[in-house]
Amino acid sequence: MQAEGPIKPFPAPAGQDLDNMLLERLSKKPFSKSSIAIRMSMLVLAVLTIYAFSSFDYKDVKLWDALILTIDNLKTMFFEPHLKHFTFTQALYQVSITLGLAFLTTIFGAIIALMLGLLAAGNISSKPLSVIIKGLVALIRAVPTVLWVLIFAVAAGLGSVAAVIGMTFHSISYLVKAYSESFEEIDKGAIEALQASGANWWQIVFQVIIPSSITYIISWTFMRFEINFAVAVAMGAAAGAGGIGFDMFMASGFYFDLSEIGAITYFILIIAICLEIFATQIKRKLKEAS
Amino acid sequence: MKTLLEVKNVSKQFGNGTKALSNIDFTVKEGEFVSIIGPSGAGKSTLLRCINRMIDATSGEIIFDNDHVYKVNKRELKKVRRKIGMVFQHYNLVNRLSVIENALHGRLGYKSTLAGILGLYSEEEKLQAAKVLQILGLEDQIYKRSDQLSGGQKQRVGIARALIQNPKLLLCDEPIASLDPNSSKVIMDHLRNICSSMGITVVVNLHQVDVALKYSDRIIGVNGGKVVFNGTTQNITSNDIHQIYGSDEGKLIFDLGGSHAG
Ligand SMILES: Nc1ncnc2c1ncn2[C@@H]1O[C@H](COP(=O)(O)OP(=O)(O)OP(=O)(O)O)[C@@H](O)[C@H]1O
Ligand SMILES: [Mg+2]
Repeated sequence: MQAEGPIKPFPAPAGQDLDNMLLERLSKKPFSKSSIAIRMSMLVLAVLTIYAFSSFDYKDVKLWDALILTIDNLKTMFFEPHLKHFTFTQALYQVSITLGLAFLTTIFGAIIALMLGLLAAGNISSKPLSVIIKGLVALIRAVPTVLWVLIFAVAAGLGSVAAVIGMTFHSISYLVKAYSESFEEIDKGAIEALQASGANWWQIVFQVIIPSSITYIISWTFMRFEINFAVAVAMGAAAGAGGIGFDMFMASGFYFDLSEIGAITYFILIIAICLEIFATQIKRKLKEAS
Repeated sequence: MKTLLEVKNVSKQFGNGTKALSNIDFTVKEGEFVSIIGPSGAGKSTLLRCINRMIDATSGEIIFDNDHVYKVNKRELKKVRRKIGMVFQHYNLVNRLSVIENALHGRLGYKSTLAGILGLYSEEEKLQAAKVLQILGLEDQIYKRSDQLSGGQKQRVGIARALIQNPKLLLCDEPIASLDPNSSKVIMDHLRNICSSMGITVVVNLHQVDVALKYSDRIIGVNGGKVVFNGTTQNITSNDIHQIYGSDEGKLIFDLGGSHAG
């Protein structure tokens, strides 16, 4: 036996033989049922697409002209932005309403999720309770936020109330998962040590669990805030929740004012970038602290 | 001397499978320094944790300081636990908190829920923590974050946390298994000193036979979940030690000659 050197677990065939063998294997790519199904679907879709384009009733729209007009519209939107139906300060005010909606739902969500997250964390809660909460939360998370808002709109009517409840609902489910997973990563040693000294559950939560996971809690919560800002813009339009999203809806659906849409888009973009910068900075601070 | 701890006929079975402890019987007197030795998997950690019910024994009885540990309710169990300090192999500190915050955790069992949640400790408690940390040679580290300490320093914080409980008994599960020989000696010297000068009873799980021989008054040998030796350090023979570890004569590394210097 050689003491050192390359390990050869299999008696490998020499160069040419090996290549041939591999080529043979590759050519014998299994032509299974699923691969046939996929190929057939692709083919059908391709045929349908071509047929659809050729048979659309374009009325008077010419494809080429339409393309040019679209580009022209985009040009108006982004190179000639202006505000007409409301002033700059009003726009700022509307943005603050959207931010407020995002903030409120994130805070509500965070507070409730913190409690549920503790009960969902396997290492500090009971197994059945943890499984139940995690299952429920997964179900809630599977339905998009917008749908939740519309579902609550049945009871509360379209508007800010439905938006707040629906967005909070989805924030809770998102944050419960994030929080409980951070809690579960905590070293069980410190928990054991405090249990052994006679500390109670609440004391352990606030002296071990929270201090050990505070950076995760903050990052996840802020991440959700960013998501909620984007959702709040959409909710302004889709659920009549007010804010800059509603102005955008009015500008596009009511006034057909492309320039105004462009201006509002820039507004939202700037806020989103600010949030992103802020988030990065928070994360850097947290990293330095840990 | 008064008996502090009585372990009577204690057995522990995990699930339906491994019988980790079977019919364990021994007593510990107040102020004694007892080492539990035995091979890996013998049940030393399980035994130690059955004493303060971090693990519930399947059957048997434990009497600590006149309390029947297996008959008290949840609330009273907390009161029993705060009289028993515990020291761990991996220190089990909250890394993000400072040395003194970790040490003060030993007081939580005495505090109201709210005061514990907010970390409100009295001046007296803080002073006591500072004193204990000074005894353990950590006076310059008080406000350092625990994860900036060396292993030996972390273990001393672990001991401080246990001492601040004002315990009658200290349970130590392999307190030096992760430390180099120098730090190990510091820790063992502190434990011996805690026993001798503070009168706190110490029960310690050890893997190092020579350390056990050097520091303890009495040795309990465990093998296969049973007590196979229980006697004073002076009376132990190399034959006994081989029996505890179930190994042939002459294979183990230890030295009876240097025993009992503490
Ligand atoms: N939570 C558990 N579930 C099932 N079996 C366990 C559990 N904890 C310990 N055991 C088993 O009980 C026996 C005793 O384990 P224990 O940890 O007490 O040994 P030990 O003497 O402390 O060993 P070591 O010296 O390696 O720490 C082992 O066979 C172990 O596999
Ligand atoms: Mg062990």
